[in-house]
Amino acid sequence: MGVSNPLLPRVATVVDIIRETGDVNTFRVVFDDLEEMAAWNHRPGQVAMLSVFGVGEATFCLSSSPTCRDWLEFSVRRAGKVTTALHELEPGAKVGVRGPYGNSFPYEAMRGKHLLVIGGGIGLAPLRPLVNFMLAPENRKDYGKIEIIYGGRSYNDLCYKEELFRTWPEAPDVTVWTTIDVAEEAWQGHVGFVPAYVEEVKPTPEDKFVVICGPPIMIKFTVKALENLGFAADHIYTTLEMRMKCGIGKCGRCNVGARFVCRDGPVFSLTELNQLPQEY
Amino acid sequence: MDSKIIKKEKLLSLLERFIADYHVLAPVREDGVLFYRPVDIPGDIELNPGRSVLPPKGRLFPQTEALYGYRVEGEKLTLNEYVEEERQVVLFGVHPCDLRSFAVLDAVFLEEPRDAYFAARRNNTVLVGVSCSSVLPECFCTTYGISPVEGNGADIHLTDVGAGAYLVEILTPRGKDLLQKFESFFEDNVAGAAEAKRAKEASLVKKISLQVKVDGLHEKMASIFENPYWEKLSRRCLGCGVCTYVCPTCHCFDIMDDGTKEEGERFRCWDSCLFREYTLHTSGHNPRHALAQRLRNRFFHKLSYNNQRYNTEGCVGCGRCVALCPVNIDIREVIGTVRGLV
Repeated sequence: MGVSNPLLPRVATVVDIIRETGDVNTFRVVFDDLEEMAAWNHRPGQVAMLSVFGVGEATFCLSSSPTCRDWLEFSVRRAGKVTTALHELEPGAKVGVRGPYGNSFPYEAMRGKHLLVIGGGIGLAPLRPLVNFMLAPENRKDYGKIEIIYGGRSYNDLCYKEELFRTWPEAPDVTVWTTIDVAEEAWQGHVGFVPAYVEEVKPTPEDKFVVICGPPIMIKFTVKALENLGFAADHIYTTLEMRMKCGIGKCGRCNVGARFVCRDGPVFSLTELNQLPQEY
Repeated sequence: MDSKIIKKEKLLSLLERFIADYHVLAPVREDGVLFYRPVDIPGDIELNPGRSVLPPKGRLFPQTEALYGYRVEGEKLTLNEYVEEERQVVLFGVHPCDLRSFAVLDAVFLEEPRDAYFAARRNNTVLVGVSCSSVLPECFCTTYGISPVEGNGADIHLTDVGAGAYLVEILTPRGKDLLQKFESFFEDNVAGAAEAKRAKEASLVKKISLQVKVDGLHEKMASIFENPYWEKLSRRCLGCGVCTYVCPTCHCFDIMDDGTKEEGERFRCWDSCLFREYTLHTSGHNPRHALAQRLRNRFFHKLSYNNQRYNTEGCVGCGRCVALCPVNIDIREVIGTVRGLV
């Protein structure tokens, strides 16, 4: 069959496991074939398939920036069969990777504009590559201010704490607002749900794109808040999640209407979503 | 288009040669039920087959197919890709509706990035079409512009024109090669064969019991997604998925592992959009949790989405889903009802 079999993964090694929360780990993965590593290119928002052989394969968003050339990162919440098997791995374990799949955030159209990032829980994972792509020295001048509003159930449920509390707030023209759902003794920051915090922060829509990812209920109420603040539907982007098996538009199950999330998504503008059946 | 004649006894000896030179898959009866199976004896083949229970798509997209093996030795993980065998396959006796279904599957599997397994099998398969000899009560291929005697999609196509003779139409360069290789089996076309084929077509088309019209269907589908009709229709659906398993254009599959962490295989197998688990997220969320949503998705796929996405109809009118649905859900009736909805 030779050169091009898109269903065949490439063998990779887990080189590091970063504990983000009680049930989320970030797996840092390097292809065993260094040429594969050098040839890998993804765009912010894309997904890939991660395999634990003998258990199965599942789709995850890439949470590392395309500008990082040394490894790939996947942030995985322990929930099902494959994710549990991943959480049982130790550094040095072999996995399979294939991809990248899908479209990406419209980072070309976002040039010269400001960006508002809104995330909830592990929903920050697909947004993180976009932020770090824009913050990379070679790209920073192409983009305006970056505002990040992020919340989790508790302090322990916030992912990427190093970036959230140090790297991003210290970067020029970046503002980060964090919130947790329920008050905690040691927490000095904001308490409350993300949509309500968005209403409080009152971001302005001028020259700005918004990317949102989080639980469906959070997205729903955040979109309402944004529309009240004057954001246009064609400037609001989110990612859809559907069960996938092939990632290349053959296995059928990730369709929403006539669109396949693996090919035509996972990133959709609110304008596009409004034209699709509400079946996701 | 070039055409020849082959006599029935010559056809049987040609099939014998095919069996010697190729793997031959052909319609055979097992306990009275028609299947496409590997064949060793020409006499086992149904030369004028009816409709097989499972469509012949399994040659290109098997019900279960190992994709690759994996093996861990010490620090090393090796993947062993399975390669399609060298010997060509002759898929014999495919009806016009199923020939069309191959074009529908091509649009899915050969769209970039190509499915390497399907592409290898497709490339390695010689298609011998055969005109229908009868019309079953559920047949409605003509709705989709298919003629029961035309072999579009086949390499060569046979039509029984009576008196122990078959009209052989050579439809592709590969068909031409095949004909040249086995030239001695064929005779020059005779006067009257083309007319006999037309007469056969006219008599078959007349027997199609339900003339289903699809004009305006795409536009109508766009506006009836939320119609209560789907919920009502789903009340009698068992969600058994037989319609998807016998459908020649259904292409959904699952991918699973079989083995230990040290050694095993990854394979794929047919899956069905009517099953609850098909879209079930790990989180427990299910975008199509209700059977009504799943049944609606199936009909939208066949009658609207496939056409939107690939510009080709998702149904070929073979009638298998109609014949086998245990609760008589009939796509022809669904089309008729949908066209009448406001």
